Amino acid sequence: MMIRLFTGFYSILKGFKVTFKNMLKKPVTLNYPIVKKPMTDRFRGMVDLVPEKCVICYQCIKICPTAALELEHKVLEDNKTKTITKFVFNGELCCFCGFCGEICPTDAIFLNKMYEVSYFAHKDLLTIDLMRKDKYKHVDGGESS
Amino acid sequence: MSVIFLKGLAVLGFIAVSAMFSIWLERKISAWIQNRMGPMMTGFHGTLQPVADTIKLLLKEDIVPKGVDFLSWWLAPFFVTVPVVMAFLVIPFSSKWIALDLNVGVLYVCSVTSICVLGIFMAGWGSNNKYSLLGGMRSAAQIISYEVPLLLSVLLVVMQSGTMSMQGIVAAQEHGWFILKPHLTLAFLIYFISATAEVNRVPFDIPEAESELVAGYHTEYSGMKFAMFFVAEYTNMFIISAIATTLFLGGWQGPFLPGLVWFLLKSYGLVAFLMWMRWTLPRVRMDQMMSFAWKVLTPMALLNLLISGWFMVK
Repeated sequence: MMIRLFTGFYSILKGFKVTFKNMLKKPVTLNYPIVKKPMTDRFRGMVDLVPEKCVICYQCIKICPTAALELEHKVLEDNKTKTITKFVFNGELCCFCGFCGEICPTDAIFLNKMYEVSYFAHKDLLTIDLMRKDKYKHVDGGESS
Repeated sequence: MSVIFLKGLAVLGFIAVSAMFSIWLERKISAWIQNRMGPMMTGFHGTLQPVADTIKLLLKEDIVPKGVDFLSWWLAPFFVTVPVVMAFLVIPFSSKWIALDLNVGVLYVCSVTSICVLGIFMAGWGSNNKYSLLGGMRSAAQIISYEVPLLLSVLLVVMQSGTMSMQGIVAAQEHGWFILKPHLTLAFLIYFISATAEVNRVPFDIPEAESELVAGYHTEYSGMKFAMFFVAEYTNMFIISAIATTLFLGGWQGPFLPGLVWFLLKSYGLVAFLMWMRWTLPRVRMDQMMSFAWKVLTPMALLNLLISGWFMVK
């Protein structure tokens, strides 16, 4: 009985030691959303675009398995230069496969590091205008291009 | 009359602030032990989190479940909270800061805090819910069992100091804390373990064991009434720490700092230790807990009383 009591007491003290050591350690969590962890190199976030690099080859539109991208263009008066009139991304349809980024000859389209993919209104998620610079600014710290 | 009213208001204010601080401290200590950060967003390091929680609880709907025994269900939170407030009457915060220095202070505080079990059992019975009833039953069994070793260890302090007045006991420790005397060290250990069981804290939290009984006796309570149970639990924790400070740790006595600061430092130190214990130890089984009370603590406390008493008389 006494031996059991003493061994029990000793094990309790050992437990206290473990938790005390833990108390002095640095926290493993972050003060999110004030501090955000940088994503890994191969992280696949939202589809993003650098409009200046785009050559309007329509490869991304053709390869997209879910038809989440919509591109329209017009030819300028000189009959040579093409310009984008509409490049819309449907965030609901996208399956984040990254094919668009892989096929793009100029790396104009790519998947960025944004992981905060929720929107305040459903329709905003369906029609993300890739031509706008502030397209992913709706969430604090959401990075664009 | 107005002085009594003011003292009452001061006690209520202290209870509110102390409970809120304890809740914040508990959340922080649990976070540190689990390598988290705890509340950080409301106020500096989440200091305003308990205020937000209190406002939420005050504004919540007071739900009365179907089939409750209304009178006992409605009265139970008051039976738990009021004794806690009453216990503050004799707690000596410093040489002057005491509401009333009764000459039977120890007896008073022990009897008043025992009323809580009535409220807990009423809550368990009145809720008309099997989990609540089991929680209430367990709590009654536990508190009554642990009252015995607790009182036996307190008795030793009374024997040592020769008075039941709280200020008298503090004064008796002028030349050395009681905890430093070997027989009273054991008494302190027994007191602290029993008091932990009295306030239903881990590892003796079986009346509200969430993995078995949902929330035990306060399963059916919400809003303000739940807040009353919550405040009572955390204030009870402060009270047992304050009594331990008074009886064993020299009360408000200490060098350099004012008495009030010493008292609060020692008391909250013990509160922090209780929290540390909560996040370290697993819950004991009902039978283990009862056998520990009757087969280990009570005989130990009795033997300690007998041997120390014999030495005192000799």
